[in-house]
Amino acid sequence: MIKQAFRVKEIDGNFFMKRRRSLFLHLNQLRLLAKKFALVILFLAALILMLLNKNHSLILDQTSGAVTKIAAPVVGVLVVPAKLLGRGYDYFSELSRIKSDNQSLRAENKKLRLLQDKYRALEIENKLLSDLLNYVPLPSAGFMSARVVAEENNAFSHSMVAYVNDGNAEKGDAVLSAGGIVGRVDKVIDGYAKIILITDINSKIPVMIENSRVRGVLSGDNTMEPKLIFVPLDAKVNIGDKIVTSGVSGVFPAGLPVGQVSAVSKREIKVKPLTALEQLEYVKIVKYGLGGLINSQEEKRRE
Amino acid sequence: MNEDLNENILSILQKMLPLLSSIVVLLSAYIPVGVPLLNNVRPDFGLICVYFWVLHRPDLFNLFSIVFLGILDMAVSSALPGASLFAYLMMYVLIYNTQRFFNAKPFVVIWYGFIALSLVTLLAKWLVVSIYYSRFLPLSMLILGYLIGVALYPLVSMILAFIQNKFIQDEGL
Repeated sequence: MIKQAFRVKEIDGNFFMKRRRSLFLHLNQLRLLAKKFALVILFLAALILMLLNKNHSLILDQTSGAVTKIAAPVVGVLVVPAKLLGRGYDYFSELSRIKSDNQSLRAENKKLRLLQDKYRALEIENKLLSDLLNYVPLPSAGFMSARVVAEENNAFSHSMVAYVNDGNAEKGDAVLSAGGIVGRVDKVIDGYAKIILITDINSKIPVMIENSRVRGVLSGDNTMEPKLIFVPLDAKVNIGDKIVTSGVSGVFPAGLPVGQVSAVSKREIKVKPLTALEQLEYVKIVKYGLGGLINSQEEKRRE
Repeated sequence: MNEDLNENILSILQKMLPLLSSIVVLLSAYIPVGVPLLNNVRPDFGLICVYFWVLHRPDLFNLFSIVFLGILDMAVSSALPGASLFAYLMMYVLIYNTQRFFNAKPFVVIWYGFIALSLVTLLAKWLVVSIYYSRFLPLSMLILGYLIGVALYPLVSMILAFIQNKFIQDEGL
C-alpha cells in the first residue's frame, strides 16, 4: 500500500516536472522565435531605409538630421587629440621638404609677379570692354569659411562635415578650397553642413575641358579619381588637360577649376582633383545665388 | 536611499558602457587625422565594436545597441542609409551562429574569426550597395579598408577589453 502511494507520488512528480519542462521549452522557443522575427524585421527595415533613400524621404532626412545634431559636436571634441597627432606627423614630414619648397616658391613668386601685372592690365581691359558691350555681370558670390570636423572616405562614400555655425549655408552651395571645387553642400543641420565630395558616387558635375571647351559630366565613383562621362566620342582628350565647370544646370558657375585629366583609355577618362581632398582643414562655402536644378527639385519635393 | 540611487545609476551606466564605448569608437573613425593613407581608406570601427561586444558581452550588447549604432552611423555618414545597419545585423547573425566555436578560445582564434566574419560582412554590404547603385563600388578601397580594420583590431579590442575588465562588473548583471 505504502509502496503504491510512493509510486503515485513519484509518477505525479515526474508528470509535474515534465509539464514544467514543456512549459519552459515553449517559453524558450517563443523567445527564440521572437528573436528570429526581430532579426528579419530589422533586416527588412535596413532594406526599406535604402529604398526610402531613392525617393529622398523627408522622414529619413529629419531622423538623420536629429542624430547628426548630437553626433557632430562629439566628433568636434574628439578631433582635438587627433589634430595634435596629425600636426606632429605634418611637422616631421614637412621638415624634409622645407628646403626644396623654398626654392620652388621663390621661382614661383617671380612668375606670379609677372602674372600679377598682366592680370591688372587684363582687368582694366575687361572693364572697358564690358562697359562698351553693356554686359550684365553675374551676381557677386557670398562666401564663408568653415572648419572640417568629420571626414569619410571609403568604398561606400566620400563626404565631410563642416562647422558653419549660423552662417546661411544651404543645400546646393558650392564648396571650394584654394585649388578649386571640392564638392557641394548636401544638407545643413543646426550649424553643421554635410558636404558631398566630387569623388562621391552621388556627385555629378557638368564640366568642360578648358582648352577645347568639350563638355561632359564629372561622375564620382568612390575612388580618389572621378570619371569623365558623356564626352563626345570624337573629342580629343589628353592627359594633363584642365577640367573646369561648364555652368550647365546652374548649380556651379562656369570656369571654376575642378581637376586635371590623369588617365585616358578606351573605356574611361579619369580626372585627378586639384585639391588633396583628404587633407582639408578649412573649406570655403560659396553661395553663387544661382540655385539651379537642386533648388527647383527641392521645391517640387516640398510641394 | 541615496546610496541605492547611486548604485542604480552606476549599474545602468555599467550596462550601457559597451554601447557608449562603441559610439565613441565609431565616431573616432570620422576624425580628420591629416594622414593621407588613413584619410583615404577608413576602416569600419563599428564592425569591430559589434564583433567584440556581441562575442564577449551578448547580455549587454543586444539588438537594440546594434540598431542604435546603425542609425548613428547612418546619420553621420553619407553612405547609403541602412547599409551600415545591414552590415551590423549581418555580423550579429554570423557571430550568433558561430559563438560556440569562439567560446574560451585564445585571442588569436578570435582575431582569425574577425578576419573571416568581417570579410563576409563587408562583401555582403558591398554587394547590396552595388546592386542599389547598379554598378560595382571600388573593391580596392574596400579591401584596403578591410586590411586596415584587421590590423587595427588588436588595438581597438585591447581598449574595449580594458573597459570591460576595469569598469564592467559581473555581479548583479
